Amino acid sequence: MKIAVISCIHGNYAALDAVLLDIDQQKAEKIYCLGDLVGYGPYPNAVVEQIRSLDIPTVQGCWDEDVVEGLNACECSYPSLLAEKRGKIAHEWTNEKVNPEVREYLAQLPHTYKEDNLCFAHGSPSSNHEYLLPEMDAFTALERVLSSDADILFCGHTHVPYVRTLDSGQLQVRVNQPNKKEEPTVSFNTPLKRIINVGSVGEPRHGRPNATYVIYDTETEAVNLREVEYDYQATCAAIIDAGLPPIFAWRLARGLEFAEKADDPTHVCER
Amino acid sequence: MIVAVVSPPGGGKTHWIHQQIAQTNEPVGYFSPKTDSVPIDAIYLQSEYPQLKLYKTGEEAALNNTTTYIEIPWHLDLEGIEPILQTFNPHRVAIIPGDTDNTELNAWADEVIPGNNITKADKALQIHRGVLTGEILDFDSLTTFWLELTQGAYGEVVRVKGIFDLVDGQICYGDFIPGESELDFKPLKLPRWLNGRPDRFSGFEIVGNNLDKGEIVLTVQDCCVPESAIHYYQQQVKESLESEPEVEVA
Repeated sequence: MKIAVISCIHGNYAALDAVLLDIDQQKAEKIYCLGDLVGYGPYPNAVVEQIRSLDIPTVQGCWDEDVVEGLNACECSYPSLLAEKRGKIAHEWTNEKVNPEVREYLAQLPHTYKEDNLCFAHGSPSSNHEYLLPEMDAFTALERVLSSDADILFCGHTHVPYVRTLDSGQLQVRVNQPNKKEEPTVSFNTPLKRIINVGSVGEPRHGRPNATYVIYDTETEAVNLREVEYDYQATCAAIIDAGLPPIFAWRLARGLEFAEKADDPTHVCER
Repeated sequence: MIVAVVSPPGGGKTHWIHQQIAQTNEPVGYFSPKTDSVPIDAIYLQSEYPQLKLYKTGEEAALNNTTTYIEIPWHLDLEGIEPILQTFNPHRVAIIPGDTDNTELNAWADEVIPGNNITKADKALQIHRGVLTGEILDFDSLTTFWLELTQGAYGEVVRVKGIFDLVDGQICYGDFIPGESELDFKPLKLPRWLNGRPDRFSGFEIVGNNLDKGEIVLTVQDCCVPESAIHYYQQQVKESLESEPEVEVA
């Protein structure tokens, strides 16, 4: 069965619309969404309403969480003072615009969603603020997949799509326990696991304005990273019309991130 | 000897003077008219050559004492500055981009040197200068702003240079010429400033067309470390420098 996995729409309705059309053309039978429906973009309500109307299983992204619970991510969520200021502007604008029913919908989204041997998370199973970057050390990456109790972990958050295969191997773990002289050692074999980052529909970070998502075939296990052109200039114009910072439009048109990218990708915010 | 140097913006005046200073052991002086309020090139050169004697406006009478380079900013009218130059009878060097035929500079010069290729005529250019003395910038914010600036987010840019005090106490020099340099910051050879707001010049100069000066100012402000955080960051840097292991030489 072909499934489509989308993430990080960020209020970009034109991008979502184009991706849904492409998914239809690819004849995917089911769609999953990894969150960040809102934030930075000019159409947070329309995006949420579209996802809801299609009954797409969706997990909560960090922006969805922040809009529900209030912006309380620690400062390490941002790589710079400038990014933090821009992020706060986007948060305040979005927080003001979202409808009560949209907020209610975002509040009830789960942090992870599991179906058969597939797990869907925004950042990682540990936190929707954690960045699973492709260069992350293999042990940590494997631990994140193992913790999900799945073979394939779909994630987003970094906005750059990639597929990472973690080959099967033997792990040996020694546990250092206080008050015990012996350190018990546990050995086990790990099966082949994969992390599939599906990129971003509405806020690409790969140097082009095109939306990205993934088509996955559950039978052949084939991964198709899709890149979809859309009318990004319409979204840029809407950003400016909405009173959001014009630099958001400039960056969107060039496939640059708006603001967020943590210095320490494995940092788990202890809020 | 007095050497007067001209070129269009980004042509390579400071770079050429830098090369000339590097080739001599004699005392050298430097004077750039009408740049006293934003002395970016002067500070950069003096950090490279601490013995370099800098002359300010009003000190022209002392120029003949040493070999001195007069860097004439591109926006100064050559006819206007000619009376001053005639008092020194300088050797006149024009650095002219290889892809342009600058008749005025050719006629003015005793010596013509090929410079960086630039494509814009300088007549319609705007210049936007900002003094940041006392401000401390977050380097990651600065690089984000610099990337946006040099890629055209705030108007078409043909030249940017600046000196910025950073959170870690270092002061860096940034320099951009389209097609000639990538994102480029270089720490200046000056002591770290880790005691409050720096009491030394920092600032920038942007040359281009249709510059959105208001947005540039706001964005630079957003790159500055707030008053409440300066002491905290400086203490962290001090502690980190104190805890760095000493290198033992066998």
